[in-house]
Amino acid sequence: MKPVVTGVGVVCSIASNVPAFEAALREGRCGIVQTPDLGDGGPRLAAPVTGFSFEDAVAALTTLPDELRHNALRTAHRSPDPLRIDLVAAMQAFESAGLHCAPVPADRIGLVVAGHNLNSGYVHDLRPAYDDNPARLPARFALHAMDTDRVGTLSQVLGVRGEGYTVGGASASGNVGIVNASHLLAADAADACLVVGPTTEMSPMEKHGLATLGAVAGAGEDEPDREMCRPFDADHDGFVPGQGAACLVLESERSAKSRGATVLAELAGYDLKLDANSLPDPNEDGEATVMASAMARAGVEPGEVDYVNAHATSTPQGDDVEVRALHRALGPEVGRPWVNSTKGLVGHCMCAAGVVEAVATVLQMRGGFVHPNLNLRRPIDDGCRFVGQVAEPADIACALSNSFGFGGFNSCIVLKRRSLG
Amino acid sequence: MTHDVIFETVKRNVLAVLPDVEPGQISIDGKLSDLGANSVDRADVVTLTMEDLGVTIPITEFQDVSDLRSLVTVLEKHA
Repeated sequence: MKPVVTGVGVVCSIASNVPAFEAALREGRCGIVQTPDLGDGGPRLAAPVTGFSFEDAVAALTTLPDELRHNALRTAHRSPDPLRIDLVAAMQAFESAGLHCAPVPADRIGLVVAGHNLNSGYVHDLRPAYDDNPARLPARFALHAMDTDRVGTLSQVLGVRGEGYTVGGASASGNVGIVNASHLLAADAADACLVVGPTTEMSPMEKHGLATLGAVAGAGEDEPDREMCRPFDADHDGFVPGQGAACLVLESERSAKSRGATVLAELAGYDLKLDANSLPDPNEDGEATVMASAMARAGVEPGEVDYVNAHATSTPQGDDVEVRALHRALGPEVGRPWVNSTKGLVGHCMCAAGVVEAVATVLQMRGGFVHPNLNLRRPIDDGCRFVGQVAEPADIACALSNSFGFGGFNSCIVLKRRSLG
Repeated sequence: MTHDVIFETVKRNVLAVLPDVEPGQISIDGKLSDLGANSVDRADVVTLTMEDLGVTIPITEFQDVSDLRSLVTVLEKHA
């Protein structure tokens, strides 16, 4: 049996919870703003989470037991905000899956945090204190500097005692986590698994490095245009870093049925393959292969795909290669499915992107719409059915969501709509 | 620096690290563990207090600390 999605959560630049995210996607709200000039030629645009209050976000989860919410406040009291954002997204998904009221045994719940190099910004920010006097480092520094702090803290708050770890695949990490969770369910190592797309807090050095590779929009410019994130547009010029976290609860159908959980979608198929390539350049063969084999595993023909949530970061090379791969994978049906890129609204949430976009896909599927490609004016291809600058009503029974990463990571997941039950 | 100033600094940092604790619960003869502090919370209180007092004390000097009074005594020696 295929795994099903029973819970979703998200915190990003345009929304602090799932209903707000759906509304923001429909409106085509954009979270991209100018950022202060560090004078290092790095990115001058970002889509940050603003106005986040951990205490308020936890308090808003009113159906979760008081004890769990109190435990969250207590456990993450000293944690950096990126971890707290992850925790809130995971608590939202836990709540939406009803795991607090119709639980799965604690040792049958897995936890996959889908990312790596998550805390470079945190480490960077503490460097001056360390240089001044090493004793000024917080006692928790060694813990907070580790990616696995996300696993430990989330598991403590949510009482998860099954299999858990971080997994990574650069910008494809989110999908890598989803694939890993489906392996856990298929191997019967868990009945349910939380997949967390974690907030990726890059240091200025890493952002500068991405600018050096030519991957970032508006790097080093005095007044970069907020509309510079324009996936699939002829004027695309690089991605905009986004801040955010998302969580999916994937569950075996048997477990979901026995708990009476609402099934939001089915993970009908996936594929994850390497290009045997250490470089940042995307590969048409690799991308087309994973799309085709994900559809084959899902038992879906190209003519049945209604929507593609593209990886489309807004880099010229990445967008061009993905369009060619879509043509290859979908053949004569390439003009059938709607295609959009959530990164045009929330920026590139790095390791979290795949999970943020899986949540966006589930919401559009259930909400009967496709969100706009906000800044798309001159499409690079007239074969694909790109959504324009406003949302469109759409009947989505089957969707693909692509994620690709530097170092030859290619991934595609297939989500199918399911009736309530 | 007086014993009282150091104790007040410790107290402020205990409240910062342990959100559930009320000021009235913190007494000089009490233990941090009785207030719900785990080992990392205790280390947090120590590092925050050292920073506030502008002192650096090798972590080994705290190994015999058993309660707030003995913690304040170690800090006082260096302040």
